[in-house]
Amino acid sequence: MNSVTLILIGNAILSLFLITIWGLTLNGMVMKIVARVHGRFGPPVWQPFLDIIKNNAKRTMIAHGTMFFLGPVFRIASGIGTYLFIPAIFGSTVFSNFSFSGDVFLVMYFIFFGQLGMALGAGESGHPYSPIGVSRGLAQMTAFEVPFSLAVISLAVQYNTLSITEIVAAQQGSILNWTIFTNPLAAIAALIALLGMNMHNPFSIVIAPQEIPIGPPTEYHSAYLGMLQTNRAIFNIAKLVLYMNLFFGGATNFITLILKTFLIYIFTSVAVGVAFPRFRTEQSIRFFLKYPALIGLLAIIIVSIK
Amino acid sequence: MVNPIYIFITSLGAAFLLNLFQKINRKIADLIFFLTLAVINYISLFWFYQLLQGYEAAKIYTAGFLPPYSINLYLGIEEAVFLVLINLLGFFSAVYLYKKFREISIKAMILYLVLIMGLNGLVMTRDLFNLFVFLEITSITTYALISLEDNKYSLTAGFKFIIAGGLVSTLFLIGTIYLYRLGGSLNLDFLVNSGVLNTKAGILATFLLVFALLIELKPFPANGWALDVYQSVHPGIAAIIASASSAAIFFVIYKFIPLMPSSFLPLLAGIGGVTFVFSNLMGLKQTDARRLLGYSSIAQMGLLLAALALIMQFDNLQSLSSIIVIIGGLFINHFLAKAGLFWLAGIVQKRNIRSWKIIANNPPLLLVFGGFILALIGLPPFPGFWAKWELVMQLSANNMMVWVWIILAGSLLEAVYLFRWFGYAVKNTEVEEIRTEAAQYLPVLIFLLGLLYLGMEGTHLVSGADSIYVLPVLLGVILYVLNWLPNKLKGSLCLLAVIYFSYRLLPALQDIYQLFGVVFLIGSAVLLITTFARKDIFKGFYPLLIIMILSLGNLLQAKTSLQFFLSWEFITITSYLLILRGKFSLKAALIYITFSLAGAYLILAGMGLAFRDTGVVSLAGLASIVNSGYIYVLLGLGFLIKIGIVGFHVWLPGAYTEAEDDFTPFLSAVLSKMGIFGLIMLAILLGEPVLKGIQLNYILGWLGVLTAFFGALLAAFQEDIKKLLAYSSLGQLGYIVLALAIHSHLGWVTSIYLTFTHLLFKGILFVAVAGLLSRVKTRKMYEMGGLINNMPLTFISVLIAIIALSGVPPLSGFGGKWLLYSSLLEKGWYLQAGLAFFASTIAFLYCYRILHSVFLGQPKTALRDVKEPSVWYIVPQYLFLFGIMAISMYPNLILKPVMSAVSTYFASSIYWEDYTVISSLGYWNGNAVMMVTMGVFMIPLLWLLFRIKAVTKVKQFNIVYAAERPDRPETTHYAHNFFAHYQKALGFLARPKVTEFWGNIAEVIHSVGALFRQLYTGNGQTYAIHILIFLLISYFILGVK
Amino acid sequence: MTVISILGFILIIIGLWGMLTQKNIIKMIIGFSIIDTGLHLVIVSIGFIKGRTAPIISKAVEGLDTGKNFIDPVPSALVLTAIVIGLAITALMLVYAVKLFRFKRSLQIEDFEELKW
Repeated sequence: MNSVTLILIGNAILSLFLITIWGLTLNGMVMKIVARVHGRFGPPVWQPFLDIIKNNAKRTMIAHGTMFFLGPVFRIASGIGTYLFIPAIFGSTVFSNFSFSGDVFLVMYFIFFGQLGMALGAGESGHPYSPIGVSRGLAQMTAFEVPFSLAVISLAVQYNTLSITEIVAAQQGSILNWTIFTNPLAAIAALIALLGMNMHNPFSIVIAPQEIPIGPPTEYHSAYLGMLQTNRAIFNIAKLVLYMNLFFGGATNFITLILKTFLIYIFTSVAVGVAFPRFRTEQSIRFFLKYPALIGLLAIIIVSIK
Repeated sequence: MVNPIYIFITSLGAAFLLNLFQKINRKIADLIFFLTLAVINYISLFWFYQLLQGYEAAKIYTAGFLPPYSINLYLGIEEAVFLVLINLLGFFSAVYLYKKFREISIKAMILYLVLIMGLNGLVMTRDLFNLFVFLEITSITTYALISLEDNKYSLTAGFKFIIAGGLVSTLFLIGTIYLYRLGGSLNLDFLVNSGVLNTKAGILATFLLVFALLIELKPFPANGWALDVYQSVHPGIAAIIASASSAAIFFVIYKFIPLMPSSFLPLLAGIGGVTFVFSNLMGLKQTDARRLLGYSSIAQMGLLLAALALIMQFDNLQSLSSIIVIIGGLFINHFLAKAGLFWLAGIVQKRNIRSWKIIANNPPLLLVFGGFILALIGLPPFPGFWAKWELVMQLSANNMMVWVWIILAGSLLEAVYLFRWFGYAVKNTEVEEIRTEAAQYLPVLIFLLGLLYLGMEGTHLVSGADSIYVLPVLLGVILYVLNWLPNKLKGSLCLLAVIYFSYRLLPALQDIYQLFGVVFLIGSAVLLITTFARKDIFKGFYPLLIIMILSLGNLLQAKTSLQFFLSWEFITITSYLLILRGKFSLKAALIYITFSLAGAYLILAGMGLAFRDTGVVSLAGLASIVNSGYIYVLLGLGFLIKIGIVGFHVWLPGAYTEAEDDFTPFLSAVLSKMGIFGLIMLAILLGEPVLKGIQLNYILGWLGVLTAFFGALLAAFQEDIKKLLAYSSLGQLGYIVLALAIHSHLGWVTSIYLTFTHLLFKGILFVAVAGLLSRVKTRKMYEMGGLINNMPLTFISVLIAIIALSGVPPLSGFGGKWLLYSSLLEKGWYLQAGLAFFASTIAFLYCYRILHSVFLGQPKTALRDVKEPSVWYIVPQYLFLFGIMAISMYPNLILKPVMSAVSTYFASSIYWEDYTVISSLGYWNGNAVMMVTMGVFMIPLLWLLFRIKAVTKVKQFNIVYAAERPDRPETTHYAHNFFAHYQKALGFLARPKVTEFWGNIAEVIHSVGALFRQLYTGNGQTYAIHILIFLLISYFILGVK
Repeated sequence: MTVISILGFILIIIGLWGMLTQKNIIKMIIGFSIIDTGLHLVIVSIGFIKGRTAPIISKAVEGLDTGKNFIDPVPSALVLTAIVIGLAITALMLVYAVKLFRFKRSLQIEDFEELKW
């Protein structure tokens, strides 16, 4: 291992560390905000940190088999990987992560890595609620990926590149250069897809509280659960960073990153998530394949005509 | 020199003497009977040999006068061929009939001798009235022979035959006598030069004469009586009527061609064509084996007649050899195969074609049966194949495409009912044995060997053929003979043969061809290991397999379109037969062969068009065609059917599912690529053709992506694991076609890369499933579950294969996805890219479903003791697995050779920076992705392993379960109808519309066949009226006034 | 066309009518016989040359130029053969009729329609 590689790894660890902290904080803040919207007091902002420490400190664990054991590993590896393949801050070497490995398609597909791995682990648990959740999740995923992929294709046509760094570079200069203004249809399609990705209401069928207690991770506990919770923070922030890069002009420093991701998240989880009831799976599939997909198509057509 | 007149003298003399000798001793009479047949065989063979050596033809004048005052006979090489065949058949049929003859009386033998003599006379005589006499001699003896079989059916049939025959002879005689009056002679050669055709009356008389002969050939629709005869008489006699009598009459018509005005030929061709198509159409509904043979026999004679009449119309008469190939090939093919099949019908003794399954108890008979069926359909290596090929080429060259379609359509119909019949025969569920006697058995076998021999000879006669391409058959035969060897030894021999063949072939191939060589041969070699797991003795498996694999290789080195098509047909037949080996594959195999043959015929027609445009059969010649749109469509459609493109995919799931478990991997991983190879070859030769302003590649691209979409969607809804993988295979092929259609460097790199990765992961998956099914006796996934602990090795390889299939990084599948989207965006096919992305996300549904339903979840009580499959299933999986891991880690291992191969045809649009591939839009570093993934995977894993001491393994039902304690895996394993909600949302897209569509088409065709056969009311009088109406219609069509 | 050949054709047509319309097998055979007879008349009429004699070499024609005094001998020879053949076929048909009658006790052609399609 030469020094270049070591520096790369060092930078990545630093970047990952900072983003994990912010991710967990963001989750805490949002929990608080949602509680206030509901008229509750809510947990403290640092509650996610406490949960993780508590869960990792539990004395006993149960295993249903190898895949069950590996499920959370897959999941968190995917979360970390997704983040590490995205250049988080434009122009920063520390936060450019391992983005030289591949372009936006790599990121999109790497998301699936964790989904599949986690689903396998959940499957081995033998609990019927897990595969039910997985089945719902996969089905919904195929649907919301349609507007998202259409939006990404539209962007690729617009900027004539698939490289996230170059897409961000193209949005620099003025706020009006942001994709949300230059290609609003694509942005809208992708943002609706993000609602599905984040699995908040109305797309919360996967873990469906009160219906199938917590879906795929039903059987996960202690250190497994700690890992999943950590991942929830990292993965969440990775997606937000991706959206920020693709549609909101990226970030040139950490503060902008924090601000932009916070605002995007507020929109998806609070503005929409709190206000809607839950879709059934087939409703949600039909929903994504109708207007959002149509908007995505329009985005492509408009861009390719230009 | 033996004067041919001795044929008549000996047979007539013997016929008289037989009765006498019988009084002394029946044995002596029998001996004389066979001796006589031997003598006339000797005479005809002797003459045949002499004439071949260049001796002058024999002209025999009776009573010492020259024609036209005497009856004269002529024996040239053509006559000799027919005599040899008729007499050989006469002899063997006599051997076959011997027992029957003994049962009846010596009279049958007498009649039989006279019949054979009459047929000889028909061939040799040049005198019209003499012809009439011989015609009547054969007819009367036939009537009498029929009446000897004293049962109600043969008697009614015989009576209908007599009525028809009576009409025919009346017409013939009127024609003869008027020709005599107008031409002043009864001699054929004199009449030709007499100017008799200059008069309308002369033409009319000729018409009556020719029409009478035509009726003897049983044209549609004036042939109801003939069908009854075929159905009811003793098969030995039916063989004579179908082969020998038809041959003689056919030859008489051939003799008459110089006498016919040129306007007759189109009519004859038309009647032949209509007979060919309609007989085959009506044959579809037939269930009586012998009547079915009757339909087929009539159809074949129609084809022969049409071919003869068409060839005679060609502006530029082609070389003699191609006429010999067409007419000789079709004729001999039908002659031997039909006689053989009628004999077989007599041996099997079953009327209904469904009851023919008892033949499966007798492998040699089954083999013979299969051989005759293949020959009759016109498949290699039998003479009919060469004949049909040459016929299509020559018809195309003479711009008679309509005829090509007619012949191909008729052939397809015939193939359907013959293969259906064969299917029934293969599926053995009976214990009943067939009683065989050497006397009956021997003639059948000899005729099949004759067919095989003549078929092999075809390679020398047809231009563009090469005997190398039939060598696989020889190897297959050797393996069949070595059947007594243990299975593993036979398998090893096969493996060695494939490896040696690859060693010789691969270095000789270039760029893309070489890459496909690796897929076909190395892929097959690895899959062959799976077959070592077979335990029971099974015949024919390895022989068929080796023919298939070697022909796949031959496909790549084919230089002419004939070599290509020949290998293509070999693969089609062998794969059909291999699919047919599956336990419940009857219907699936029939659908498979029907679609495959339809595709093959499209390819054949396309090659005919190419031959018309270039005048050569070399494949490279295709490149010079300017207006290549139609050729591209025909050939392309043929290849796409083989791939199973959406709309033509209905054969695929059934064939994959019902084939034997260790053969399905070949179908999916290897065989499906032959269509891809065909498409690539086509694109190399023809580029991007445009038809009527439509860019064909654009359509191809949409077909590809729609296939990918529907393949994935349908796969998600399957409960049957093999069917799921079959649809998945279909979807993956859709991506390959899509990438291919892009027609750019990146597109082709993608396509070939996907071809390779598909070979690897589908190879694993189908082999794994084969292993799985060797332990678990159900294909329903929801009946399994939790098998991860029983077969961990299989689980690991399936897991890796699934990850590779789904396209999730870091494994090789992602490379394929990345290349695909990059090439699509580069091309500007954005919507296709969107749909492809959707399809690939749907793929996750079935990917997860396999892993979960089979390996995860709750183990079933019944399957608790299931073990890891035999090592022969594991080895090929891990060989492929090694391949996947290698190219995932170092994508350049595969990408670089593929890129350099493709750069022969396109300028490269991607380049490398260390391990990073850079396209015009994006970049991908497979190596780095692998490293990062491993890194981020290791860290949390290490953390968990650090905590491993805290972990307790729990029992099956130890889960957090609300309200009750689960105790039955069946109610706890969530696996059945896994994507019910998806079905609700998108199920309307997965309805079997296409299957219904093809089902309806089949239904309509069968109904039309059923409608037309209502013509055959069974009433002898109606049949006579048919003949008269047919006479009038032909007369008006001809327009003789 | 001579009167005889016209007569012959009329016979052929009558016979044909009989063969195609009569349901009784025996009547059909009779129809066939009439066709045959008509046919023979036609053949004979073809060779007939007015004012000449039958082509039989006997005392009566001795010394005459056979080429000029005989009618065309070929049709006469043909008709002999044709009559024999016709006879044979008629005989066979009758044999069939007898055998068919034994099976079904019927001579109606519609009663023998088991084989069809």
